[in-house]
Amino acid sequence: MFVQILFILSALLTVGCAIAVAVTKNIMHSCIFLLGSLIGIAGLYATLGADFVAVTQIMVYVGGIVILMLFAVMLTGGKDFASRAQNLLGLAPSMGNKWTYAAGLFVGLVFFLTNLKLILNISEFFPDKKFGNEFPSTVTQIGHLLVKDHVLAFELSSVLLLGALVGAAIIARPRKQ
Amino acid sequence: MMSLTSYLLISLVLFIVGLVVMISRKNIVAILLGIELILNAASLNFVAYSRYVTNNLDGHIFSLFIIVVAAAEAAVGLAIVIRFFQIKETIHIDEATQLRN
Repeated sequence: MFVQILFILSALLTVGCAIAVAVTKNIMHSCIFLLGSLIGIAGLYATLGADFVAVTQIMVYVGGIVILMLFAVMLTGGKDFASRAQNLLGLAPSMGNKWTYAAGLFVGLVFFLTNLKLILNISEFFPDKKFGNEFPSTVTQIGHLLVKDHVLAFELSSVLLLGALVGAAIIARPRKQ
Repeated sequence: MMSLTSYLLISLVLFIVGLVVMISRKNIVAILLGIELILNAASLNFVAYSRYVTNNLDGHIFSLFIIVVAAAEAAVGLAIVIRFFQIKETIHIDEATQLRN
């Protein structure tokens, strides 16, 4: 019962905030709505019994990536950030206009309709198993998997993070005049 | 109600919203927000299949690596955005027409 309430709340938070990211006028509000959507996805992970992934989602995304996005928005404010709406949808000029929204909604509708039938019939391919309400802790098993089966990907991801760190520092260094 | 289908529907809606954001926005930071939404949709699919179909934890591992790659991608992408703003004084995507100035 508690899991179902958590599932409904998380699903509503995720989908509602994601749609708000798409339609809001201000890029700063867009970042804050993305924060809500990521928290909702962490709740969905919790209802799936993925406790470690849920906590990692909150720590890395909510604590790291969205803060980075907010820093980038504030550092690149400029004249687009303050400009008021002039066009039909009431959006700032850098946030898109009615033609780009029409194209995006068309592509999204086509994608939705082509995938909806497959998803609604997914239980034919993967019949639902009966799961109880038990949620065993996954941290020990994930730790064993990371250093046994997936150790190469684990080490390569550390190299990737080091490369991204050095690359970001080099790209964003102050410009020589 | 809590079945594989409902999780896949939520993931489909997230993916489409991310796609609409990426196509319709003209702000580079907003396009990066759309990429984050799409990566989260894929990650949610992995964890849902991991619980309802395969019953092991490989989907969780995939999801963790997606989070790592998303963090690296966001760091480098935002560094490029800041550099672009230093040069062009705007973050409108239509202004990005040259590889070097």
